[in-house]
Amino acid sequence: MNEILTQLSDCIEFGKINMASPYPPQMKGQEGADELTAKALAEGINPQDVLTLGLMPGMERIGLKFRENKVFVPQVLMSAKAMSTAMLHLKPHFLSGAAKQKGTFIIGTVLGDLHDIGKNLVSMMVEGSGYKVIDLGTDVGSDKFIAALKDHPGAVVGLSALLTTTMVNMQAITKEIKDAMPGTLITIGGAPVNEDFCNKIGADSYSADPQGVVEFLNRKLAS
Amino acid sequence: MNGLKILEQAFRLEKTERAPWVPFVGVHGGQLIGVDAETYLKSSKNIVDGISRAVELYKPDGIPVAFDLQIEAEILGCKIVWSKENPPAVVSHPLSEGVLLSSLRIPGKTDGRIPVVLEAAAELRKKYPELGLYGLITGPFTLALHLLGTEIFMKMFEDPDYVHEVMVFCSLVGKKHSEMLLDAGCDIIAVVDPMTSQIDPLSFETFVTPYVSSIFDAVRERGKYSSFFVCGHAQQNIEVMCDCRPDNISIDENIPLDFVKEIALSKKISFGGNLKLTVVLLMGDADDVKRDALACLDLGGDTGFILAPGCDLPMQTPVENIQAVSEIVFDRYLQDYTRNLDKKESKLDIMNMRDYGQSDKVIVDIITLDSESCAPCQYMVEAVKRVAPHFEGVVEWREHPIKKMEAVSFMSSLMVKNIPTICIDGKIAFVSQIPPQSQLIEAIQKRINEKLKLKIKSKRSEILILGESEQECRDITKRVKRAIAELGKSTGVSVITDKEQMTAFGVKKGPAVIMVNYKLKSEVVVPSLEVVKEWIKEVG
Repeated sequence: MNEILTQLSDCIEFGKINMASPYPPQMKGQEGADELTAKALAEGINPQDVLTLGLMPGMERIGLKFRENKVFVPQVLMSAKAMSTAMLHLKPHFLSGAAKQKGTFIIGTVLGDLHDIGKNLVSMMVEGSGYKVIDLGTDVGSDKFIAALKDHPGAVVGLSALLTTTMVNMQAITKEIKDAMPGTLITIGGAPVNEDFCNKIGADSYSADPQGVVEFLNRKLAS
Repeated sequence: MNGLKILEQAFRLEKTERAPWVPFVGVHGGQLIGVDAETYLKSSKNIVDGISRAVELYKPDGIPVAFDLQIEAEILGCKIVWSKENPPAVVSHPLSEGVLLSSLRIPGKTDGRIPVVLEAAAELRKKYPELGLYGLITGPFTLALHLLGTEIFMKMFEDPDYVHEVMVFCSLVGKKHSEMLLDAGCDIIAVVDPMTSQIDPLSFETFVTPYVSSIFDAVRERGKYSSFFVCGHAQQNIEVMCDCRPDNISIDENIPLDFVKEIALSKKISFGGNLKLTVVLLMGDADDVKRDALACLDLGGDTGFILAPGCDLPMQTPVENIQAVSEIVFDRYLQDYTRNLDKKESKLDIMNMRDYGQSDKVIVDIITLDSESCAPCQYMVEAVKRVAPHFEGVVEWREHPIKKMEAVSFMSSLMVKNIPTICIDGKIAFVSQIPPQSQLIEAIQKRINEKLKLKIKSKRSEILILGESEQECRDITKRVKRAIAELGKSTGVSVITDKEQMTAFGVKKGPAVIMVNYKLKSEVVVPSLEVVKEWIKEVG
């Protein structure tokens, strides 16, 4: 594989944003995701390859490390920041159709709940895995999800709840989305939520970590 | 004995006559007196009424005055949004919106809602002199996160000096707040720092340890006790939390109590938790609660353990569920009764697994939630599926998705606690982590080798010679014995001349030779019926 893309995937995995970034210490003074993405495109590497062979493998590796408790939120956020810096170079190519995203994911924290760390992590990981992400923010009711689904037919919906009292709102929102847009896939997550609850409310998937959401999307959208 | 005394015994790791019990009543107190969260947390009278009601209903040894981690943040300029059933939520982070750290002042007695809590603490102190009063402060890392937002995580790498400055400020806020709470009559300071569950031990030691330790030290200098509350998946940090030298650490159901007990006691620190907040206290019934509480009590023991829910009780937690905890805490008879009830119920389900894995094949069991919907389970099943063909027919694997009842009893019979888990011949081999192919192969091969050794050891055979008379058998017996001698074997030879026995072996006319292979199938133990059936199937 192309040397630049290998370096790029390392930058994503270890959260090296650009040359000026002091983190991680072992990559100090080296080019980061910012410079390497620009360089790859300038050398004529296909933007699709930059995404799927450079950025995504790095994101997947950090996602797996997160699942295995080898790294925690701060390290993942650094990777996500490196990712989004690289994405700035790629966005024009997506818009022009020169590169394709794998599908669309609509995410929000449910009505009554204002927590966003978990939701943001998922949204960054999913974006970093090649999906278009529509982030509706926190305190989101079913009407907003349905409106977004109308704009993006076939998108998968992700619901997050961090409180025991708001997790119950997931049930109503899931039902209302499924009634309005039958066939919509809904994946849920958040500290108080588990597999049993997911089955009970009729959602399609529960993930304990962001990588689980990516895997669910890969199974459902990208295959 | 009064509540405070028994709590202090637990803090000092002295043996207690029973585990002290501390229900974390926060906005749930509002529910008890019929007001919403905002009305409750903004009035010292409501807090006093709510806690008084909780004291009557739940007979606690200790109780927090108020469970609200937004008090300091609100004073320091974070916008908060109130809701009816939850403590308020922080929605803005001044330090990430251009406010300078140097412009922030440490909150004092008259700022924000601090006086509400101080008044409530003083009033409750007067009313309940023997109750252990917990004064809660926002842990410095959680407060820093309120002030800075999630940017703090990246700043830890990009601008560590700044994060240290923010942490210094937050720990000074915490120290001042705990002094005020102690002055108002609190006995114990709980530093509640749930956001630390999001970071790794090294970051914890760098950015949290020095600051929380200074708060615990200050509390100790005043001759009072401290507790470190962390909710969430903080298992990785239990050890570094203990190293901050609080008097107690309190955790929720995300961390196994026995794990915390082992570490805390080895560091000479008391520990508490971890009644299941949602699935049991909020959504279960009184019997579920009693069982869960008993499991905590049995695991926690009588030295240094404080029974508490994992975190702030949800507002609508049924009163009878929390009362069920208090019933079981004070009633030893009820404890025994529940324990026996449990045994009786589970006896039926638990299979005898002592002889499991005695068949010739190596059995690999994968206990999963359901490999279709649980990704780690799916990977684990796939890992086994990939490896099984390496052992051509010697290895048999089965998935046990615990959505089915049989699988649940199978799981508890093998004493499996986590999902997914791989067992090889009934022994737990891999828990949660999906083993690399090489490791899995190695583990199976090891078991095959063990079995092979057992087989070689137990191989024994005998040759039976059947005839109507000794005479008839003589020549053949001679020849057989010679053959055995020439091969240097120790095979036994028996001559049978009994006609009935001959017929039983299906021999009509002698002389006849029958080879018998003996195989040791079990030793010392009485094998279960199922196991014997498996053996019989083998011989056809």
